[in-house]
Amino acid sequence: MSSTGRGVTSPLCFSSDPNSAPCPALNKYGGAREVHSDRLCNGKDFLRNSTFGFEKFERLSWSQIITNTTITVTDEPDTLFQKVSVLVKGHDRSVLDSYEFFATMAAKELGITLGNVFEPPKDVLRLTLLKSIHIFKKHRVQYEMRTHYRCLELFRLTGSTAQVYLEYIQRNLPEGVAMEVSKIAVAKVPEHILQPMWEEPTADNAPSPTADLKG
Amino acid sequence: MAASLSSSPCAMMLVRNVTLLFGMGNHAARIRVGKGDRGVTYEQALHPHHIGHRKGWLSQHPCNLKGEEGAADRALEDVFIRRFMFGTFHGCLANEVVIKRRGNLLIVCALMLQKLPPQKFYFLTGYTESLLSHFYKCPVKLEIQTLQKQAVYKYL
Repeated sequence: MSSTGRGVTSPLCFSSDPNSAPCPALNKYGGAREVHSDRLCNGKDFLRNSTFGFEKFERLSWSQIITNTTITVTDEPDTLFQKVSVLVKGHDRSVLDSYEFFATMAAKELGITLGNVFEPPKDVLRLTLLKSIHIFKKHRVQYEMRTHYRCLELFRLTGSTAQVYLEYIQRNLPEGVAMEVSKIAVAKVPEHILQPMWEEPTADNAPSPTADLKG
Repeated sequence: MAASLSSSPCAMMLVRNVTLLFGMGNHAARIRVGKGDRGVTYEQALHPHHIGHRKGWLSQHPCNLKGEEGAADRALEDVFIRRFMFGTFHGCLANEVVIKRRGNLLIVCALMLQKLPPQKFYFLTGYTESLLSHFYKCPVKLEIQTLQKQAVYKYL
């Protein structure tokens, strides 16, 4: 039952413990319980409950899941990002196509300004091996591993928006796809370097430090 | 390696359609054409150069991508999981086992024949899931679909 990876399967992983880390799918054994929204593998489920090792988790209803998620409000100012660049890598171009469609749609729904969505050129790793186990040096076999890329650029986000969007994107990452995120943050210039030193009047009447250089 | 053709025209006619040497041509993951009585699944019927074009991947993880690590560990895990599945569900596997990894989660998808009663399937799935999750320290999910008989793509 090999799939060509068409489309994005999106099981959203939730844990029944409200105090757990934000990504329960990444926890060790016993951390995740899947709520299946869309299953592309099984046309007809022969076995409804296929997980037997996790007896301590009951089936959660949607209302329970919504009340269990934690929302914290703090007084510190949110980090501001000038640009968040998401690079997705995969072996299958069609998987990356559908993932790009999903990510751009999610960004539009959340009102995030999308910049450039482009495809960097693929990288191919080729290995040449001997075809035969003994002699026949002239006959070889070549294998290659192709890595396709897709890059999404998002501009002018707040830290919380970025966190929510990236978490949503990463939970729905298809299997066999890797992601690299680079963020460029905007920070306030520290006060002590706002004015150049030679324009500042010094506290005592000592000569300014650049007097010797000028003269 | 190839036999040299003689210059006379009748000799050239003779050697035109004859396989000159035993074992020539690729033999990797191919079932040779036979009498037409052997049923073959889609996975077996397509040759390895069709991977990525007409065939998918049996094991999906990000470790073989450029700049990612852990390929050897995943390969070893995959080999063990396939042998484990073959042994636990002996005689029931209709097709190759597909292994997917999403984050820490390991999903093993298999097509089975209905050779065992459903209660035994339930027990074996639970057994496999708990044993594999103890071995690999990550949640393991088994997705099984059963068929009445083998899904044959063509007869070779």
